[in-house]
Amino acid sequence: MNVSSAAVRARGLVKTHGQGQSRVRAVDEVDLEVPEGQTVAVMGPSGCGKSTLLHLLGGLERPTDGEVWVAGRRVDTLSERALARMRRRSVGFVFQAFHLVEELSAAENVELPALLAGRSRREARRRASLLLERVGLADRARYLPSRLSGGQRQRVAIARALANDPLVVLADEPTGNLDTAATLDVLRIFEELRSAGQTLVIVTHDERVAATADRLLSMRDGMFVDDTRLAGTGTGRLGDLIGLEG
Amino acid sequence: MGFIVLIVRLVLADVRRHKVRAAMLLLAVTVATATMALGLSLRGVSDALYEQTRAATAGPDMVALSGVTDPDVTAALASLADDPEVVAHHGPYRIVYADLTTRDSISSPVVVQGFAETPGAVNRPLVTSGQWLRPGGTVLERGFATALGVGVGDHVTIAGRSYPVVGIAVTAATSIYPWAAQVGPYGGPSDYTGLAWMTRSDARTLASSQDLPVTVALDLKLRDPAATEAFLDAHRIATLRVNFHTWQFTARQDMVILRNSQPILVVGSWLLSFLAITGVAALAAGRAAEQTRRAGLLKAVGATPGLIVTVLLTEYLALALVGDALGLAIARLTVPAIASPTASRIGDAAGPGGAAVAAATVLAVAVAVLSTLRPTLRAMRTATVTALTATAHQPRHRPWLTALSALLPTPLLLGLRLTARRPGRAVLQACSTATTVIAIVALLTLYAQPERGYGLDGSSALPNLRGEHDRRLMLAVTVLLIALAVVNTLTFTWTTAMEARANMAIARTLGATPGQISAGLSIAQLLPALPGAVVGAPLGVGLLSLFAARNSVASPSSWLLGAALATLLATAALTALPARLAARRPVAQTLSAETA
Repeated sequence: MNVSSAAVRARGLVKTHGQGQSRVRAVDEVDLEVPEGQTVAVMGPSGCGKSTLLHLLGGLERPTDGEVWVAGRRVDTLSERALARMRRRSVGFVFQAFHLVEELSAAENVELPALLAGRSRREARRRASLLLERVGLADRARYLPSRLSGGQRQRVAIARALANDPLVVLADEPTGNLDTAATLDVLRIFEELRSAGQTLVIVTHDERVAATADRLLSMRDGMFVDDTRLAGTGTGRLGDLIGLEG
Repeated sequence: MGFIVLIVRLVLADVRRHKVRAAMLLLAVTVATATMALGLSLRGVSDALYEQTRAATAGPDMVALSGVTDPDVTAALASLADDPEVVAHHGPYRIVYADLTTRDSISSPVVVQGFAETPGAVNRPLVTSGQWLRPGGTVLERGFATALGVGVGDHVTIAGRSYPVVGIAVTAATSIYPWAAQVGPYGGPSDYTGLAWMTRSDARTLASSQDLPVTVALDLKLRDPAATEAFLDAHRIATLRVNFHTWQFTARQDMVILRNSQPILVVGSWLLSFLAITGVAALAAGRAAEQTRRAGLLKAVGATPGLIVTVLLTEYLALALVGDALGLAIARLTVPAIASPTASRIGDAAGPGGAAVAAATVLAVAVAVLSTLRPTLRAMRTATVTALTATAHQPRHRPWLTALSALLPTPLLLGLRLTARRPGRAVLQACSTATTVIAIVALLTLYAQPERGYGLDGSSALPNLRGEHDRRLMLAVTVLLIALAVVNTLTFTWTTAMEARANMAIARTLGATPGQISAGLSIAQLLPALPGAVVGAPLGVGLLSLFAARNSVASPSSWLLGAALATLLATAALTALPARLAARRPVAQTLSAETA
């Protein structure tokens, strides 16, 4: 696969934390290519470097060594300002802790990236309405995050991640703080995104989440130890999962 | 356009969420800018009132006065009227030095000017109530009449004779009350004196019947009012004792009563600004972790560092500018009363001028920027991932302090360790206390000054308006400073309590009582307040010495000691309530909230 057709690509990616004897290689010589439209799940034990990898791919952290390419453009050498612009345009983040702006309503949170991208208020509002409807929260648009359940907050966060129609959505333990019902709601949304051709990289401990992916990467000590294509998975498997719950 | 909407939305949302902090910043900036704008406006307003009175009363450009009344002097004065530079004149007329007593037995020195029953082209006093002169009656200058509490229809006794007050008037030919006597009897020094007018014949009779000292005066209108100095140079009469008072001198003389007001207000505004910065900075530091997390999530969704700074600073700047506008409006409304403590001038006081507005705005911006710079820079510089997981301030480990405090009783142990957690806040608390003590010392010193009343022989039956005015202003500034210091102390205590709630809850599980926790929180504020109070007293004395007159008297040491002690006691009392409230939080609830 050439560089331009990969939504995200990493080559020889290294990230170390600490100094001297306490120096730790959180990500150790990782190579990765995520083609457009693919859903990739990254699994591994706590502290294996999954979240750090996701931060490196999205430009939230700078690698110690190696290269990161997003939408065919090398991003690890960009300035903070340029990285911010790249995130706005090409990347949507979903965090375990939601990270919504507490003093803004659900709709206003979803409008944030569109306004940052310089879209008009009307356009941002229209887009936010569509996305909130898509995640089933049209009737909660005016609610502050403190009035929403954990699952609803995460759905708002997903809507926010999609606000600028990003090339890739990076999700860090998106169901880590959710109960079973809320997890299934989020899974449904991810499944819809996958079906719609949205590129997704999901870091998770939850096998139910990983089962919705096209590809499963297993990570240990900062390196990939397995790369599995999950042929025949997807809606059917998710349907089974939901059915099991019912 | 989207950026502006976003910034406005984030700013408004944050203000709504942190109303107390917004109100505090608004209040602090308002009082600081109002005080500074007032201080810087006094000169302009005093000049404006003089100008308006001068225009309304056809004020002379120059008054020539001589305490010698022989024919040579009178002729020399009269010849000035023939000078080609003089376009109009009034006089020569008599100024008689006498004593005036009211029905309430208030006595004051007075100068009585003998005027025509129909005013001329120059120096036409403006009657503000009653009527102009008639034989047997007197008209009193408005500032003087106000100080005496005398109105039209009352009777006053001048040099033993009773006169009805037929009118009240203002003039720009003399300085404001109590500097109506431009020269003293026989050309000597003058005392605090009021001004009255009588008809020429009544003034002559008054002077001759009691053999009172008389000065002869001539009011001149020049072709070029600005050329008073050139006129003076051309008419210096070496052999005759003639004093010339230019209109510029009279305007400057009007400012004498405000000589101390300007430093009180301007230095007061600096101190108020300093307290504003310490208070708002403490609040901003208290929520630095939250601010950093907010910056982190904005960065994660694509905000640039520049936008983060804009959002964080815009909120404080917007509040500061609203406070600035409010402060300037307050200054505009109060400046007439402050710039004109006597009733000797008329007219509308113009608001703060361009320089005062600019200085107040710079002050407001400085308060906003200085109080938020550190958390803003921290939020901007912190890496996004770190910012997203930013936690509360992590204190440094200080083994020596831990060992030392272990020897102390529990409240002192807790207080010392709490103080050491936030050394920066302790410094702010010390500075806040020192600022308060400086203001109290200044106020006490003003009250300690001996002063001469405006009554006869310096009697305080007529109080010294300048001293009263200074004390009123100083009291107002001190009250504002104390109010801000009170808010700061409450803020420091509550913020300390909230930051240390987990540690305090742990101390409770280890056996500390709510009383010990409460005392520890109070002591944490008192420890830095103590050096603040100790340093504040000499700093206040030092600051005052920069502005005090040479013959000023220092306030007694016991007063200074009392001020420092009272400040410490007040601090202890103020910290008690928030400390008690914080100490009574249920331990289990606090611990589970911290671990959630």
